[in-house]
Amino acid sequence: MAPIIRMVGLTKRFGGFTAVDRLDLEVEEGEILGLLGPNGAGKTTTILMLATVLKPTEGTVYIGPYDVTKEADKARRLVGVAFQEPKLLWVDSPWSVLNWHAKVCGLPSGERRRRIRWVLEELGIWDVRFKSAHSLSGGTRKRVEVAKILVQRPKIAIFDEPTAQVDVVGKHKIWGMIRELRDEGSTIILATNELHEADVLSQRIAIMHRGKLLVCDEPRRLKDSIPGGDVVEVSFEGGVPEMVTEELRRIPTVVEVSAARQNQVKIYLNRAEEALPRIAELLLRLGLQAKSMRVSEPSLDDVFAHYTGLTIEEAQRR
Amino acid sequence: MRALLAVVERDFRYFLRYRWWIAGMVSMNLADLFIMALVYARMTNPDVVVDYFVFFAPGLTVTAAFAAAFMIGREVNMELRREVTHYMLSLPIERWKLAAGRVISGGIRGVAYVAPLLATTLAITNAYTGRLPTPPELLTVLAVLSSLCLGTSGLSIALALSTKSFEKYVTARSVVYYALFFCSTVFYPLSLVERVFPPLAIPARLNPVSCGADLSRALLLGWAEPTPFMLVDVLLYALVFGLLAASSYARTTRK
Ligand SMILES: Nc1ncnc2c1ncn2[C@@H]1O[C@H](COP(=O)(O)OP(=O)(O)O)[C@@H](O)[C@H]1O
Ligand SMILES: [Mg+2]
Repeated sequence: MAPIIRMVGLTKRFGGFTAVDRLDLEVEEGEILGLLGPNGAGKTTTILMLATVLKPTEGTVYIGPYDVTKEADKARRLVGVAFQEPKLLWVDSPWSVLNWHAKVCGLPSGERRRRIRWVLEELGIWDVRFKSAHSLSGGTRKRVEVAKILVQRPKIAIFDEPTAQVDVVGKHKIWGMIRELRDEGSTIILATNELHEADVLSQRIAIMHRGKLLVCDEPRRLKDSIPGGDVVEVSFEGGVPEMVTEELRRIPTVVEVSAARQNQVKIYLNRAEEALPRIAELLLRLGLQAKSMRVSEPSLDDVFAHYTGLTIEEAQRR
Repeated sequence: MRALLAVVERDFRYFLRYRWWIAGMVSMNLADLFIMALVYARMTNPDVVVDYFVFFAPGLTVTAAFAAAFMIGREVNMELRREVTHYMLSLPIERWKLAAGRVISGGIRGVAYVAPLLATTLAITNAYTGRLPTPPELLTVLAVLSSLCLGTSGLSIALALSTKSFEKYVTARSVVYYALFFCSTVFYPLSLVERVFPPLAIPARLNPVSCGADLSRALLLGWAEPTPFMLVDVLLYALVFGLLAASSYARTTRK
């Protein structure tokens, strides 16, 4: 399918500081693209440029056929953003915020009421719909912010950290509703610094760090791309015979074998699922009894660390 | 068109949220009108002001219109600081409509606020002079007050956009506010300004607030002929600041 969003050398500088640095990235129509990166990576700034809120310093982004630097009014019509910081004034109630938002987006009044009720009920905030924002918890305000876009159902829906401050039940609800929106045909950009969120929701993940795009691919392939990213741990009843490690190293996808403890080896390899039968076969041939065998795949954190030398948590702290 | 109306509706709703505050303001203004003016009417030199009470009533209406229309700037400034502006800019509305909507709503808020005061003023001037303005005169007063409100809304938004920090905004707001009122014919006639502080006579004459007050006086009281200059002055004020604010809202908010 053709890309519906095309960033071309997209750059934003604030004074001398480059917040977004020559981003080249395409988003396919109908996919959920995770924009993953630690705080300060430039996710929000990128989103604000897509939404025609900020002007690119250099480069541009095409929203559908429209160049945001030339036809911002038209580009904007295709996009809806649920912001990282809920944009509610203290005196607003969830109902009035959503009703006004839907009205500006051109929804007729019957449809408006129907959709707002449905979204508020799904997100469990129907009962507080007439309370003013200052009496609502952070998590509730965040839900209202997300609800705006779930009511609007724009062609391109952007969620900036949609579940920050939201409890586990709420998180799963929101994820489900984002998927539903995608299934109806919307294209979704999901900015997050939560690995799990990006992993479970996205078809593709773009990893950003210090304004730059490090890599963009399917989560599965990102993980596979780390040499020796998969780990198989085998524990034995007794000690580990020397020749086992030698033999294991000969399996094609194995990158490294180390004796972690006296009676355990750690095998670093790619595509563990393909190598497992061969490992089992080898052990059988050598007459070795394995006590346990555990496979773990790399996390996105490992992917991030592979590209930056830092875990996301370390990067957040910088 | 619907989007523009929605923008105006939003601003008007926030205006109504302040209804108790507004009620307070209206009653304070009315108390000012009754008490202060009654006192002044006894103190002031009849050479200067024939009857200060009647003189002051239309001036107060203009003051109220100005104050109410000026409030929108405070909100625009707050939105800018809290980045609610990001939300406004991301909405599927053409930029010029959003910008025009904000300026127009400021104006409408001023007119809505001033309507009850204008009615009171009419009752007072009628009681004192026995005169009621003709429908065209009344319409002209409304048009003048609307223009004044529109220009003031624009002025306050332009001010709000050019001073991002709240402290600077508040300072700028007070300076503009006092300059415009001190140097005007709202509280005293031009002849007094000319006598007491001649250098201020020209700014006071050009000041749209003066023109608004003098036009209202002329039309409501029938004391003087309204001059075309005053009308043009107020209309120009609305046009210049309305456009300035709308264009700077559309331009400067998207950095
Ligand atoms: N208006 C601004 N002025 C100056 N610096 C900014 C501004 N907005 C963002 N930044 C900086 O740009 C960097 C990227 O910020 P942001 O896009 O919010 O990252 P993220 O959303 O990934 O956490 C940060 O270092 C932030 O401090
Ligand atoms: Mg962010």
